[in-house]
Amino acid sequence: MGKSMIPAQRIEISERSASASLTARIRQAQEFFGIRLTGIDEIKVYKITGAPLPPAAVLQEVFADPVLQNLHTAPDTDTARSAYVAEVSFRPGVTDNAARAAEMALSLTGHQTRVASSSLYMLHGDITKQDAEKLVQEMLANPLIQKIDVITYADFAATARFDNVQLPTVQLAAAHALFTTVDLHVPDAALEKLSADRCLALSLSEMKHIRDFYARPETTASRTAARLPAAPTDVEIEILAQSWSEHCKHKIFAADIEYTGPDGQTRRISSLYKSFIKRATADVKKDRNLDWLVSVFSDNAGIVRFDDNIDLCIKVETHNSPSALDPYGGALTGILGVNRDILGAGLGAKPIANTDVFCFAPPHMPQKDRAGDMPQGPKNPRQILEGVHKGVEDGGNKSGIPTINGAFFFDDDYAGKPLVFVGTVGVMPHKLPDGRASAEKTIHAGDVVVMTGGAIGADGIHGATFSSLAMDENAPATAVQIGDPLTQKTMTDFLLEARDRGLYRAITDNGAGGLSSSVGEMAQMSGGAMLDLARCPVKYPGLSPWELMISESQERMTLAVPPEHLDALLALAARRGVAASAIGTFTNDGQLHVEYEGKTVAHLPLDFIHDSLPALQLPAVWDKPRARSAWRGGPRVDVRQIPPANITDTLLHLLGTPNITSKEKWVRAYDHEVQAATHVKPFGGLHADGPNDAGVIWLYPHGGARKHTAVIGCGMAPRVSLHDPYLMAQYAVDEAVRNVVAAGGDPDMLCLLDNFCWPDPVQSTKNPDGDYKMGQLVRTCEGLYDICRAYGAPLVSGKDSMKNDFRGLDKSGHTVTISVLPTLMVTAMARGIAGIACGSDFKSAGDAIYLIGAPAASFCASEYAAYFKVDQGAPLPLDMPAAMRTYRHIHAALQSGLLQSLHDVSDGGILCAVAESMIGGRMGAELYDMDMLTAFGEAPARFIASIAPDNTQAFELSMAGTPFTRLGTVTGNAVLVCGDGRLDLHRIVSAWQKGF
Amino acid sequence: MAQHKPLFLVITGDGINCERETAAAFIHAGGDARIMHVNDLLAAPEKLTAYDGMAIPGGFSFGDELGSGQILALKIRYRLGDAFARFIARKKPVIGICNGFQVLVKLGLLPFPDAPGRLCALAPNAHGGFMNRWTSLLPQNSHCIWTAGIDAPLRLPVRHGEGRIVFAEGRAEALHAQLMQNGQIPFCYDTDINGSYANIAALCDPAGYVLGLMPHPEAFMHAETAPTAQTQQPGDGFILFDNVIRHLQGQEKIREQRIA
Repeated sequence: MGKSMIPAQRIEISERSASASLTARIRQAQEFFGIRLTGIDEIKVYKITGAPLPPAAVLQEVFADPVLQNLHTAPDTDTARSAYVAEVSFRPGVTDNAARAAEMALSLTGHQTRVASSSLYMLHGDITKQDAEKLVQEMLANPLIQKIDVITYADFAATARFDNVQLPTVQLAAAHALFTTVDLHVPDAALEKLSADRCLALSLSEMKHIRDFYARPETTASRTAARLPAAPTDVEIEILAQSWSEHCKHKIFAADIEYTGPDGQTRRISSLYKSFIKRATADVKKDRNLDWLVSVFSDNAGIVRFDDNIDLCIKVETHNSPSALDPYGGALTGILGVNRDILGAGLGAKPIANTDVFCFAPPHMPQKDRAGDMPQGPKNPRQILEGVHKGVEDGGNKSGIPTINGAFFFDDDYAGKPLVFVGTVGVMPHKLPDGRASAEKTIHAGDVVVMTGGAIGADGIHGATFSSLAMDENAPATAVQIGDPLTQKTMTDFLLEARDRGLYRAITDNGAGGLSSSVGEMAQMSGGAMLDLARCPVKYPGLSPWELMISESQERMTLAVPPEHLDALLALAARRGVAASAIGTFTNDGQLHVEYEGKTVAHLPLDFIHDSLPALQLPAVWDKPRARSAWRGGPRVDVRQIPPANITDTLLHLLGTPNITSKEKWVRAYDHEVQAATHVKPFGGLHADGPNDAGVIWLYPHGGARKHTAVIGCGMAPRVSLHDPYLMAQYAVDEAVRNVVAAGGDPDMLCLLDNFCWPDPVQSTKNPDGDYKMGQLVRTCEGLYDICRAYGAPLVSGKDSMKNDFRGLDKSGHTVTISVLPTLMVTAMARGIAGIACGSDFKSAGDAIYLIGAPAASFCASEYAAYFKVDQGAPLPLDMPAAMRTYRHIHAALQSGLLQSLHDVSDGGILCAVAESMIGGRMGAELYDMDMLTAFGEAPARFIASIAPDNTQAFELSMAGTPFTRLGTVTGNAVLVCGDGRLDLHRIVSAWQKGF
Repeated sequence: MAQHKPLFLVITGDGINCERETAAAFIHAGGDARIMHVNDLLAAPEKLTAYDGMAIPGGFSFGDELGSGQILALKIRYRLGDAFARFIARKKPVIGICNGFQVLVKLGLLPFPDAPGRLCALAPNAHGGFMNRWTSLLPQNSHCIWTAGIDAPLRLPVRHGEGRIVFAEGRAEALHAQLMQNGQIPFCYDTDINGSYANIAALCDPAGYVLGLMPHPEAFMHAETAPTAQTQQPGDGFILFDNVIRHLQGQEKIREQRIA
């Protein structure tokens, strides 16, 4: 590959005053890396090429705000001398949003240009070059997608950087073969090597399954007719690898399992998905004769009917591995991806709310002198936290979708692989203006395949394949995709407009597997598809057909367009500034047929792609809780902290743990109110800093009834997995349900989503206890099925991510495996009633404080046990029918206005929940004496409520059959009194607001 | 005789994202509103004349690249230019909310449309990031038609990363005094939330018809979106939309009386 550079002009934009976000970096440099900076300045750089180049006045007008910034077209003599200067630019092929925006801005002024953007960081202080490089790599840039040059200020000043300016450009081999054939008639070891080398992730038996298919006489005949060689083409192999990937095919959830349970009995389970997940929904639907499930498990998202005019769609995804490598880009891409699932549900829904749940290693990890125990590769926990958070912020805010609910959960076992759950709720009318049901897709043979949104680049072509090219600066960065909210927002607006005009018949998103997956799946609806990949818009020339077919370049959707509407659709796209191209035709010949400039490159029967793969055979066992082999960095080898003897000191400790402390600072960076329909905000109470339990969207602004809301909450209990995965599933569901009930959701009008993130459950020599992890998965599914039945709550959508392990070296060079806790994250969405949620904050002195639910609790898997490292005991079982009765009572009590406040009891138990209600209302509380276990033990299905004195009798009557305990009274003095203990409210507030 | 319903144009596209609630706010207050893609308006600028007022809603136009509001402002200046200037010259009410405020400032329409060069900017918040929080807005002495008669603090949410008013170097005090004297600062925050000069939350043009503000009045039209549970309708944002509609209806009435 050669270099090709184009002459250009360079401009630099400096800020007139220091930026607060850079000032924060100075603190972090000291905190994380022990490097003392005295200052950082950022200078934005644009390299512009065009004939003619824009005049100086236009550059000034476009690039610099005269009140805030200075524009330089020559070296600036005023720039403060720094120790080092780092120039951070994008690697070729990486989406450069600033540059694209600049090109658009310049074109408005009549100048057609090409632009590349970069940043200069001036690092001030007494630091070494190694320090400077480390800071830039770790804090200011991402080497995966950006090129970093660190030089001394003297060298920088001596460089004639404004002369002979060159723009980076992607250069791929000029001529590529149409395809290459792949020889599968080789020994087993060679097949496995082929799979590994091409990043196919196909097992030996899957490779042989392909070989057998190509050996069939009917295959040979059909290939001869299609003028293809007998051996598979690279395009075909890649299509099959994508279609059969764990990500797309969910082979583990579809596997045949031989499971031995705690009773020692062995039984066969054919597909966890069919046996537990799908069956739970089918059985609940039958039990309750539900008529509000519009579409479950068959579309990109679950669709439910909670309203007479509109339907709600919901989907939750994970984006774990990308977020470990590039926390910002990974999370941003994840959010935009799940937004597209909603846009691709039915005939397209409008996203109205995002959710986000993070499972990370604690933000202050590693502890002093333990840095060597951290894994090599993933970013450190604090950077993952900040990067992912920023990605979710930009993903929601820049798309105009409120982020209304979420959670942060911290445990050391997420140090190898962070979990990033991102969800979206969407809304669609029951019927479109032309009378079609919004939830129903159809495709007719002859409909046109249209790809819309962004163009195709090499981004996201199975990540590591291009790593061999990483040394060449012109090689496109492929491992990480950077989403662009603007492209997606304009595409979303266009598609919803096209939907309402009836311009397409079906829609789906291009996510994992790219066109291969989207067209491959849609083709099943008509019975086939024909594509010509040469008609796809590309970011740069030189991509071969297999790359075009599987590229995961972002912000793309695929449509089935009736031929008579094609012109109107393309014209509308052009008016909206959105790319759209006809790239093929849906057929009914049973084949996925792919051409490039009219020459066939792939010809595969759909039934072979979708229905031929034999199920995996997997062993599974769950006998009892087994001790985990703690990785070196884990806390299990730490000295125990001695728990304080008194309740008040204990409370102050627990309120400050990362799992319990206030996340307000982080949450307020998310726009949670855009679209003007957020009914319950994340924080409420007197100073709007008390935590609410769930996010509530008012449906009226979205076309629903005035009284209706959608209440969205989440729940999980990963630490319980180590004791009993069956209960873990039920604790997770219960937490999600009680959160939405606390915010006014109807427990009888509620659906669930299951998101599994598991350590590798496939047994092998490198994963000897895979069968146990599979057993944990089986037991979790059993628990999930049982609670869905008991709560009458259908699962409507879900996803699994199955290889969440880090296997590699720690920073001292020791081999280490870090597996995530087996984690089921449950999202609940209920229909709620506007105006009945009372908030978690105490309101008035004299109100009675009650515990609703059983007082029994356990330290098992509790925050108390995790913090103080005490013996845990066994987790408490959940009395599901009793819990459901409680939820119905509470829903009725909220409707009759009996409650002044209501707060779910979760991490930290009863006393932490009371403390949070005190903080919300800035009220005191006087409680009867309680022991440590009662105060801080944890158990599901419990709430703290406060009731006005006049209503206590009515409240107690209304709870008939549900246990409740009077805990004490709300007071007007700012003190918590619990037995002999006294604690000032301001100490509670500052302990909880310590944050991280 | 039925009251004339003033018709407002609410532009959308290019990353604008509050167009629906902004249009709904005009309708809820008794007016009428159409949402139009900015490209459709640019393709036929004469369409503007059919409208009694215009809103540039909040959002992230062009992803805030090159500075919030910058590219949309360029687009309006280069492609809509005269039609928009005539619209404003005819004293048609214009509101720019959040990103729309940033657009009006980058267009140079606020605070003084005829000033040579830029006098103020909406810079990144002092704390360096985006924030979503509710604020209490203190009404100031102003003749802005959108905020007329507001005599008690309004509770409205802010949701922005770049909302800090900064004046041109060396001219802050004089400009601030002049704007105060002209009644061009309709609202200040009751506390310092983002480092904005003198806690300025909103600016209007000297005529009082063009209003730019960082808080979102369209987000609080109903009790159901109040920051904490309330039953009293409407929300605090209603009065701005009600004001402008009554103002336009009043003008209509005066015209009718003259004709009669």
